[in-house]
Amino acid sequence: MARYLITRLGQALIVVVLVTVIAFLILHLLPGGAARATLGKEATLEQLAAFNHEMGYDRPLIQQYGMYVQRLLQGDLGYSYQLNQSVVEAIEQRLPKTMVLSLLSTLLAVVLAIPLGVLQAVRRNRWPDYAITALSLLAYATPIFFLGLMMIIVFSQVWPILPPEAPQGFTVAEVLADPAGLVLPTATLAIVTIAVYARYVRSSMIDNLNENYVRTARSKGLSERRVVLRHTLRNGLFPVITLLGMYLPALFSGALVVESLFNFPGMGQLFWQAALKRDFPILLGVTVIISIATVVGALIADLLYAAVDPRVRLRGSAT
Amino acid sequence: MSESIGPTARHSTPAVNAAAGRPLLELRDLDTDIALRRGTVHALDGVSLEVAPGQTLGVVGESGSGKTMTALSIMGLLPPGGRVTGGQILFEGRDLRSLPPDEVRRIRGVRMGMVFQDPLTSLNPTIRIGAQVAEPLRVHKRVGRAEARDRAIETLRRVGMPRPERIVDNYPHELSGGMRQRVAIAMALVCSPSLLIADEPTTALDVTTQRQILELIDDLREEFGMAVILVTHDLGVIAGRADRVAVMYAGRVVETAATEQLFHAPRHRYTEALMRALPESAIRESGGHDRLISIPGLPPDLSGPLTGCRFAPRCSYVSDECRTTDPSLVPGAHQHACLHPVPTPTVAVSGPVPAQVEPAAESVTAAPPERAERPVLSVRNLVKNYPVHGRGLLRRTAGQVSAVADVSFEVRPGETFGLVGESGCGKSTVGRLSVGLEQASAGQIVLDGTDLTDLTGRERRRMHRQVQLMFQDSYAAMNPRMRVDAILAEPLEIQKVGDSAARQARITTLLDQVGLPRRALERYPHEFSGGQLQRIGLARSLALRPRLIVGDEPVSALDVSIQAQVLNLMRDLQRELGLAYIFISHDLSVVDYMADRIGVMYLGKLVEIGPARDVVRAARHPYTQALVDAVPSITPDRAATRDGTTIRGELPSALDPPTGCRFRTRCPHAADICTTEPPLVGGLHQVACHLPLRPEPTSTPTPVQAFG
Repeated sequence: MARYLITRLGQALIVVVLVTVIAFLILHLLPGGAARATLGKEATLEQLAAFNHEMGYDRPLIQQYGMYVQRLLQGDLGYSYQLNQSVVEAIEQRLPKTMVLSLLSTLLAVVLAIPLGVLQAVRRNRWPDYAITALSLLAYATPIFFLGLMMIIVFSQVWPILPPEAPQGFTVAEVLADPAGLVLPTATLAIVTIAVYARYVRSSMIDNLNENYVRTARSKGLSERRVVLRHTLRNGLFPVITLLGMYLPALFSGALVVESLFNFPGMGQLFWQAALKRDFPILLGVTVIISIATVVGALIADLLYAAVDPRVRLRGSAT
Repeated sequence: MSESIGPTARHSTPAVNAAAGRPLLELRDLDTDIALRRGTVHALDGVSLEVAPGQTLGVVGESGSGKTMTALSIMGLLPPGGRVTGGQILFEGRDLRSLPPDEVRRIRGVRMGMVFQDPLTSLNPTIRIGAQVAEPLRVHKRVGRAEARDRAIETLRRVGMPRPERIVDNYPHELSGGMRQRVAIAMALVCSPSLLIADEPTTALDVTTQRQILELIDDLREEFGMAVILVTHDLGVIAGRADRVAVMYAGRVVETAATEQLFHAPRHRYTEALMRALPESAIRESGGHDRLISIPGLPPDLSGPLTGCRFAPRCSYVSDECRTTDPSLVPGAHQHACLHPVPTPTVAVSGPVPAQVEPAAESVTAAPPERAERPVLSVRNLVKNYPVHGRGLLRRTAGQVSAVADVSFEVRPGETFGLVGESGCGKSTVGRLSVGLEQASAGQIVLDGTDLTDLTGRERRRMHRQVQLMFQDSYAAMNPRMRVDAILAEPLEIQKVGDSAARQARITTLLDQVGLPRRALERYPHEFSGGQLQRIGLARSLALRPRLIVGDEPVSALDVSIQAQVLNLMRDLQRELGLAYIFISHDLSVVDYMADRIGVMYLGKLVEIGPARDVVRAARHPYTQALVDAVPSITPDRAATRDGTTIRGELPSALDPPTGCRFRTRCPHAADICTTEPPLVGGLHQVACHLPLRPEPTSTPTPVQAFG
């Protein structure tokens, strides 16, 4: 087990290094450059050169990358002149708020999608299945900004029961203190996620209900309820684990569109604004964080699989 | 679960036991439909059967005959779209169709048990064995957790599971197929049912394991006084085990009688044809020289309306009356639904010769291949090891699976060399190595005097034209998006043979050779039946005019009547084209029929090799003898035997095979000397055993190649 973890973490490290290299290269090859973006249109060529020299931007790329990695290892993701704060500080401020939104919506999605998917599988090709399928496809196909806008129009304009803007609090506690403000962004995110998860649960449950072991369970005279809940559900939920693992990075990256739409100061918004302003340190910092989250998410999914499925043995832990 | 029914259920058992002779289960005119997208299939049409307590009823038939649907109808486990539409299912005197669903569910769980075909998929992969076995007790009898566990252990012990106290905490994937089938049987028996339905319980298992499981079911039936319905396609399995037999064809019971009577003197023409299509019948009657008596055509499509006898289109005794009159079962002890039954029981077996039986003369007089001729293929000291990767980043090789260990044999032109053994013995690996699909770890494969292991690249590819492979599952071995003409032309294109006109001519010839109509060229693989696909597979292997075809279980997935068609075709082509075959199969009776010489493999080793008749009828290696004894047979005196060489236990791991003789851990005759490795010695009939069962006959009267 320990050996397996070390192997996987080693692989993870390689992935993260590759991601930083690629992100670093792409960002530095963009025209314009950081100096112009930071100093503005009025800056003279001399000022730009001085800035570049001071920041080390005039040195060879490989050297710049070396410096970046060196600082990274010390937990220093750089400094954003545009925000006038360190990248770590900027992320620290926004990440918890993003996680509140993502966790709430994911939790809601899982709690609703599993029963819906199971219901669809059990009532396959009958009206509950058709109805949920139709709604899922609708949610799937609707652009999320449009869905969010409709939510705002319906629930805060036509029928004003909820605020159109997400909580603007500075800390997590302040955000949570305004639950009404969280309803619309959470619901918007959750609706799309429910549609995706329910489809997966449905098809996985249908596959499992057609398995021979389910027929064996029925031959024991078990009630349909027991056949579905005790015998099929656990095996049918394996794909959800993969989905959750893939979703982990989203907890960190935030939902770009929804955060912008509801003006929620989270990671998505941070990334979006940094991209507009060519704020390289922020862009790189967020990319590194997300790449780590992606690798860790995959690892967690694999570990969870091993925990719930006795057939899965982690390579390196057994023959 | 209404008041009036509850008490009846509790007291029903003594009532039935009192009424001796009353059937435990009686099906009356059962009709079952399956609604599919393309229409409704009338899977069962007026099926009537009965089973008395303590009796074994064998239900036999080919795919689509309705045998499994009968079992599933009784259990109420029909697939989606399936529905019993008429008739009665009387269990202990009550019609299951008129009882409330909860009541039927309880009867199904407590009074009946079912064992399914594929033990690898019929257990829940994520629930421990003990919990699965004890579940019916927990649910239906409200037994507590601790007691349920004890009862599970006890039941597992009864079905012959070693170390049941430990097995209860295992998961299914940790057990072998045979052991999983024991678990499935334990699960069906845990509530001591009065009826056990076993649907092809041993079809997925090796013959020696099959024998163990069938004996187990027999013993349990006596011990529990259960009735058993044994559903199978294998006439041999039924012949040895059942009291009565019902033969099904196209959704109907066409004949039913006491087992001995039915096998001794079948009356229905279908039953007769089915028995004569078995390779063992051909061997018994002609020593294997004759073509098999195949049943032409395919069973009817059950979704359309059918008039007359359903077997009429394939029957050689058909008259006009058969096509218009729907025969019903003649009442009596031996019932059959045939207008022209096999006449008198005593002469039945050697009765009138059906029209399509071809004279044997041709094959007997066929010129035996030159003895001095150089072998087509010569395999010398072949070794194949598969590395097993260990832990850590570098995945160092932690050990190796010894799949093939020092195997040598020759195949002469025009000869069929049979390779038999159970799963995991390495026979398929030898096949794949011979066609060059895999690289040998050591040893030589000499094809027509050229050692393939020396060759590389293009030369190797050219040589491999000479050897082609034929698969068990031809459908899986064909690209479903390619038409048959493209499938057949592909080998020619790869080897750059001829121009497109020449290729076209070649594939048309091929199609004629395997007996398929020209219009097959424009169709896709899914449009063909299993037997037709094997023909296409054979045509593809013939495309490059090979001298040797390696058939890996080429007929194992086919029904008996279709199997006979394909085996006949393979023999005909051998004679016409002078082909040699390596015929790999787990089925000793098929190999016995097809092969001139047989090699028997066990755990990577060739333990015995010799002329086919001698290996099967005068086996020298104890393992070969055990295999021979385990093969179910329809011959009454052979079928019932329960002695002979029986091997117990499980196949050892090929990762760490036993030292010395690899079979010694399961051999009934093992002695101290067996810890040293026995060499393969002898003249024409060689054996690798220190203590062979019998010496090699001093003179071999017939040269090996004379069997053609």
